[in-house]
Amino acid sequence: MNTTAANTESVTQRAARLTGNFLIRHAMIVVMLLIVGFFAYRSARFATPENLLTVLIAAAPFALIALGQTLVILTGGIDLSVGSIIAVSAMAAAWSAKNLGDNPLIPLSVAILVGLIAGSVNGFVVSRLNVPPFITTLGMLTLASGLAYAIGNGAPINGLPANFGAFANTKIGGLTIPVILMIASILVFAFVMKRTSYGMRVYAIGGNRLAAEIAGVRSRLVLFSVYAISGLLAGVSGLMLSSRVITGAPNLGQGYELDAIAAVVIGGASLMGGRGTIWGTAIGLLLIQTLNNGLDILLVPSYWQNVVKGVIIVAAVGVDVWASKRSR
Amino acid sequence: MTFVTDLTVDAPMLWCSGVHMSFGGVPVLRDVSIRLEPGTVTALAGENGAGKSTLMKIASGQYRPDSGRVEVRGEPLPAGRTQAAYALGVAIVPQELASIPEMMVYENLFVGREIKNRLGLLNRSAMIAIARTQLQSFGLEIDPRVRMGTLPVGVRQIVEIIKATERGARVLLLDEPTSAIARREVALLVQVVLALRDKGVAILFTTHKMEEIRAMADRVVVLRDGRLVTNSPLADITDDEIVTAMIGRKLQALFPDVLPAGSEVVLEVSGLVVAEGGDPISFTVRRGEILGLAGLVGAGRTELIECIYGVRRPLAGTITVAGRVLRPGSPRFAIESGLAIVPEDRKGAGVVLPMSVLDNATLPRIAAFTRFGLLTPRRKDAIGAVMESMRLKSNGLAQHVENLSGGNQQKVVLGRWLTGDVDALLLDEPTRGVDVGARSEIYRIITDLSASGLAVVMASSDMPEILSLSHRALVLRGFGVVAELDRQQLNDPDVQDLIFRLASGQDSPKPEDTES
Repeated sequence: MNTTAANTESVTQRAARLTGNFLIRHAMIVVMLLIVGFFAYRSARFATPENLLTVLIAAAPFALIALGQTLVILTGGIDLSVGSIIAVSAMAAAWSAKNLGDNPLIPLSVAILVGLIAGSVNGFVVSRLNVPPFITTLGMLTLASGLAYAIGNGAPINGLPANFGAFANTKIGGLTIPVILMIASILVFAFVMKRTSYGMRVYAIGGNRLAAEIAGVRSRLVLFSVYAISGLLAGVSGLMLSSRVITGAPNLGQGYELDAIAAVVIGGASLMGGRGTIWGTAIGLLLIQTLNNGLDILLVPSYWQNVVKGVIIVAAVGVDVWASKRSR
Repeated sequence: MTFVTDLTVDAPMLWCSGVHMSFGGVPVLRDVSIRLEPGTVTALAGENGAGKSTLMKIASGQYRPDSGRVEVRGEPLPAGRTQAAYALGVAIVPQELASIPEMMVYENLFVGREIKNRLGLLNRSAMIAIARTQLQSFGLEIDPRVRMGTLPVGVRQIVEIIKATERGARVLLLDEPTSAIARREVALLVQVVLALRDKGVAILFTTHKMEEIRAMADRVVVLRDGRLVTNSPLADITDDEIVTAMIGRKLQALFPDVLPAGSEVVLEVSGLVVAEGGDPISFTVRRGEILGLAGLVGAGRTELIECIYGVRRPLAGTITVAGRVLRPGSPRFAIESGLAIVPEDRKGAGVVLPMSVLDNATLPRIAAFTRFGLLTPRRKDAIGAVMESMRLKSNGLAQHVENLSGGNQQKVVLGRWLTGDVDALLLDEPTRGVDVGARSEIYRIITDLSASGLAVVMASSDMPEILSLSHRALVLRGFGVVAELDRQQLNDPDVQDLIFRLASGQDSPKPEDTES
């Protein structure tokens, strides 16, 4: 163990070095704080408990697909289909609520099942047929979107029973179910990726698939699982979104995959795989959501919001790349 | 050495003086000064981590030194700009070649300074003709219209050297030029380097192989722990002195003694056909025995090891470990049956670079370290103990493997198996890219393991390794075994020559009576 370097510097030097290292290594937290500070300074409506809840409610459906996306990206893949899986599972859930009865568990099961099936198809094609993830999920994006429109014959499904909204709008202890689910999912995934052998296998496959296989990891099984999980989470996310407005809309979730990928990348994950954390994704997600919310409060028109978001996404990752180069 | 350029003599081609460099507070180069004169070849020797590559990158303008200066023919080199160094006539041929595999050889030679006709369109025929003359002038009989990626690494490297010098490079920096190329190509490289020297180019190359220093260099410079410890004309220094300078101590017996093998057969390979057209291979390895696999590149050593382990499916044959017949093509089954492997390509197939030592070492024994899906804290103790016994040099088990030296990475690849039971260990080039100091430790570990009852199969291109560690050795050629040599034959002074002739097919195998 090499401790000689640490022993020769004074305590203050060490503290300064460690603080500096922390700031450089966690550049994204600094960026996040700067953004929060800016909005809080510009608008009194921003830093309030009500607004925090608004941010969290908006974040929840994104959080689930970003978590799934994190697993996929950690294996070195990508899942472009989550936005469309949201749409198809939302439509299927709405259809089931209208036609199969009043029990709110029916649309929940349907959304989960549809998401899981779509994700499993992705997983099968990627892991067994060795089709590149980009192509596979691009195909699923188109296919699932088509199915979403087909379910409603090209139109949204309205007139749903009121308890279709129960999932998104019931509050427990002041928080809605999606917010609770988001927080729980982040904690569970952070735990799984850090503490379980499953998490380690995901990292190993993304870091070096051949080495992982030689060490006995069944890489195809693990690859299959990350796409299946990503699809399942997108299904739940689809139910969240449609339940919130008690409508099934076939264009729901359109383009969400890009925000999810952005959150993962802002969180420090490498698109080559093997690097990234759940906490990073959570920060990236909050950053994007805070930005959306703050710009809304400042009444910035949506097209300018997109311009600002685009710049911030690239700049944030640019800072991160620069910082990690510095700290090396 | 002073910082004032002496104007009374011609300025050297390249002059680094008083160079200091550190990364993250760790000094990598300390007060290093070297000068390269025109028409000379300088060997930059040193173990891995001595600072050779860093010095190369400073000399080629890729890194800015913390202090000190670099001059090219009296002009200061603007640091941090490779293009500027290039303009001054300094070119580097890195270990990982910068050629474009999808483009033709002549396109590679001319990319960035294409010959155009009056309309501004590419004049391909002119480029092809010039490329052909350039290649021939260096003794390279290849068609300039073949795709770069189809050439062997050694030839691609020479094309890169030609590209650099034809663009006016007067200082050529070669980083480990022979690390990845075949013996035949080494001879060609030596010829090219000497031809360039005679044209007045100043050449600096890094190496840790003595034969190459002797074959090419006029002067040898040795770095150790970032300090320049030797700078001498080659004629004035012995091999022993160079090795001692590199490792900082006398090279004691690099190899431990060969201990007697046991009698119980652990690994049995029978009728294994490794590739189309290969002969069936059969052999057994006993407890405590080390079986060497010798042969040229492409003889099938790696393929044989991969078939035994299950990374590759054999065309026929069976493998038995401690009485259990392995399932073909299943590394997982092989691990459960007591096999372990140290693959040839450490970074590509051995370690997962962005993971910690702890996680890398957990991977092959992941089931044993998991309870109800959760990783158990017990793994830290078990892996910590193994890594300590391997004398792993790291900042702790949480350190990422990518930040370890080659030798220490290899200790992780080897040590990760030892938290569970291993009956047979397969080693493929166990000391490739490992410096001399760590190499002797790895040899010690291998012999200790075999002494503790493991059967070891070791493929190696390093002849001394095969000769000194093995109880027996098989010589492979064309995916088949052409000879088996016992310990007594391995001790024969002429055995190296014999193995080479067997491996290259210049000699029919001598009658063997060494069935064991």
